[in-house]
Amino acid sequence: MAYLELTGLEKRYRDAVAVADVTLAVEKGESVALLGPSGCGKTTTLRMLAGLAAPDRGRIAVDGTDITDLPAHRRNMGYVFQSYALFPHMSVARNVTFGLEERGVAAKERAARAADALEMVRLKELGHRRPRELSGGQQQRVALARALVIRPSVLLLDESLSNLDAKLRQTMRREIRDLQRTLAITTLFVTHDQVEALAMCDRIAVMNHGRIEQVGTPADVYERPATRFVAGFVGSVNVLPATRDGQGGLAVWGMPIPGIASFAQGDADVFVRPQRMRLVAASENVAPDVPRLKGKVAQSIFIGDQVETVVSGEGGQVTVQSLSGAPTPQAGTEVQVVWKVEDTLIFSREAS
Amino acid sequence: MTSARWPLLAIPAALLLAVIYVWPSLDLFRTAFNETGATGAMIEAFSLKVWRDLLADPFTYELTVNSLWLSVTATSIALCVAYPIALFLFRTDTRFRGLLAVMAIMPMLVSGVVRIFGWLTILGDQGMVNSAARWLGLISTPMRLLFNWTGVTIGLAESILPYMILALLAGFGRLDRALEEAARSLGASPLRTFVRVTLPLSLPAIVLAAGLGFVLSMSAYITPKLLGGGRVFVLATEIFEQATTNANWPMASAMALYTLVLMLAFLGLSSVLSRRLAQ
Repeated sequence: MAYLELTGLEKRYRDAVAVADVTLAVEKGESVALLGPSGCGKTTTLRMLAGLAAPDRGRIAVDGTDITDLPAHRRNMGYVFQSYALFPHMSVARNVTFGLEERGVAAKERAARAADALEMVRLKELGHRRPRELSGGQQQRVALARALVIRPSVLLLDESLSNLDAKLRQTMRREIRDLQRTLAITTLFVTHDQVEALAMCDRIAVMNHGRIEQVGTPADVYERPATRFVAGFVGSVNVLPATRDGQGGLAVWGMPIPGIASFAQGDADVFVRPQRMRLVAASENVAPDVPRLKGKVAQSIFIGDQVETVVSGEGGQVTVQSLSGAPTPQAGTEVQVVWKVEDTLIFSREAS
Repeated sequence: MTSARWPLLAIPAALLLAVIYVWPSLDLFRTAFNETGATGAMIEAFSLKVWRDLLADPFTYELTVNSLWLSVTATSIALCVAYPIALFLFRTDTRFRGLLAVMAIMPMLVSGVVRIFGWLTILGDQGMVNSAARWLGLISTPMRLLFNWTGVTIGLAESILPYMILALLAGFGRLDRALEEAARSLGASPLRTFVRVTLPLSLPAIVLAAGLGFVLSMSAYITPKLLGGGRVFVLATEIFEQATTNANWPMASAMALYTLVLMLAFLGLSSVLSRRLAQ
């Protein structure tokens, strides 16, 4: 049995379903990201875990104990809020000892543990300050120290990095991940940022419309998305409407797509990631078992490390991403776009 | 030149205030230094005679204590009732929130005299409270709830309630739901959360509302007059007595200024305290 188990969680607000049916098992010491667009129910799931929202149906168990009906203050969850929610009327040190005071930890131990926690987040010197005298990143660290000092059974992070600027977010991502690994603390975090999810977790649960669409390692979810929603939400992707080629296969822009022997009835789209596509000259001979499209370069966009080349053909446009530095074809040049058979993802159109 | 630098729109209001408020206030100030002759007629002067009479009279201090005590008790009672209501209105997400808020401040829209007649039927010897208590067998003779300090305190607390609810709502700025949730997640029970987070963060609002309630109580005239039944003497009723029955305008003016100074002192104290607490 897993350390943390969510079984059939459901939550409605008036007529709206926030969480439809969430089942998830998290191992001890594991870090799992709940990734999804806003309104997908990821924050509601986290709040139900913390006891800040009551599920209408379902069960939450930690280490084999059912905590579904336990009030928030008896759950021992470390919750880091999106706004950090530091107590403005208390010093940083007092914020950190708050949870220990409520647990009746003796003053001496309290001070020692709070000092350790603040040192852990590199804020040892700032204990006497008020939260408003700290920068956003420092406030974030205090919130983290405050949640960790109580030695929670599970650490819950709610969009905790979304209020920081891009540079700081990257640093904090690594810091939190390192802390999580060192303390081997079971962590569940909510984010709508796929890069954050990929960088900070062992496994990702991709949520949409109150349900988990796929759970897997970052590589799993990226390479083998289970649904078209996951394929589109995690990483960027070209969606190419496919047609039947008459022999049971699929064709895109009139070109048969090799390597997909069997595909069920109905309309389908072919998904290919821009980074997995390559441009070759129109004159080049491409083996017949390599999927390809033909078109003209519409424009090239230089985005630093990468160049995005938009190729338009008879059925629409595709974006091809390649490393910058190599010569890029001029707009108007006839080109072929190729990729590997195993990078072809196919999703039926009805299942959207 | 922008309209913001020439606040033309404020001129009508400023003129109106000058005519109906500033000028009479100055006149009041001037009158307080006149004298009252043996016949009761006002003599133009510039003396401190009425002030000496006012401050030498032990009755002034009795009235002061009465006024302060009444204001403090009425404000305290109103605060205890207003705080939970305001907290509920601040937090609720029901679709009836607007309606409930209007209901809470509705008494403001009713004339003070009408409200007092309401209290007469509730608190009288044959009123709702006494009838209910008698029916329940709690009392045999009616409780005296009217025409004494009890009645005035109840009536006054009710009349300042809507203002205090509004003041509390305006002052709840820093009360963030996430802070209470953070306290809960850190192991604080609902009661501990209230004591350690909600209450401290709403202190500025409480001080602000208490200051307002206090000033309104100090200046209340109708409620002490009608619900006090001539047995309740406070500064406001005495000022009216001096100005009308005794026609002693200099004394009434001096007393009014004396009351004004008391009120301003308390108001200043509460706003300083509120700002200090809000930091």
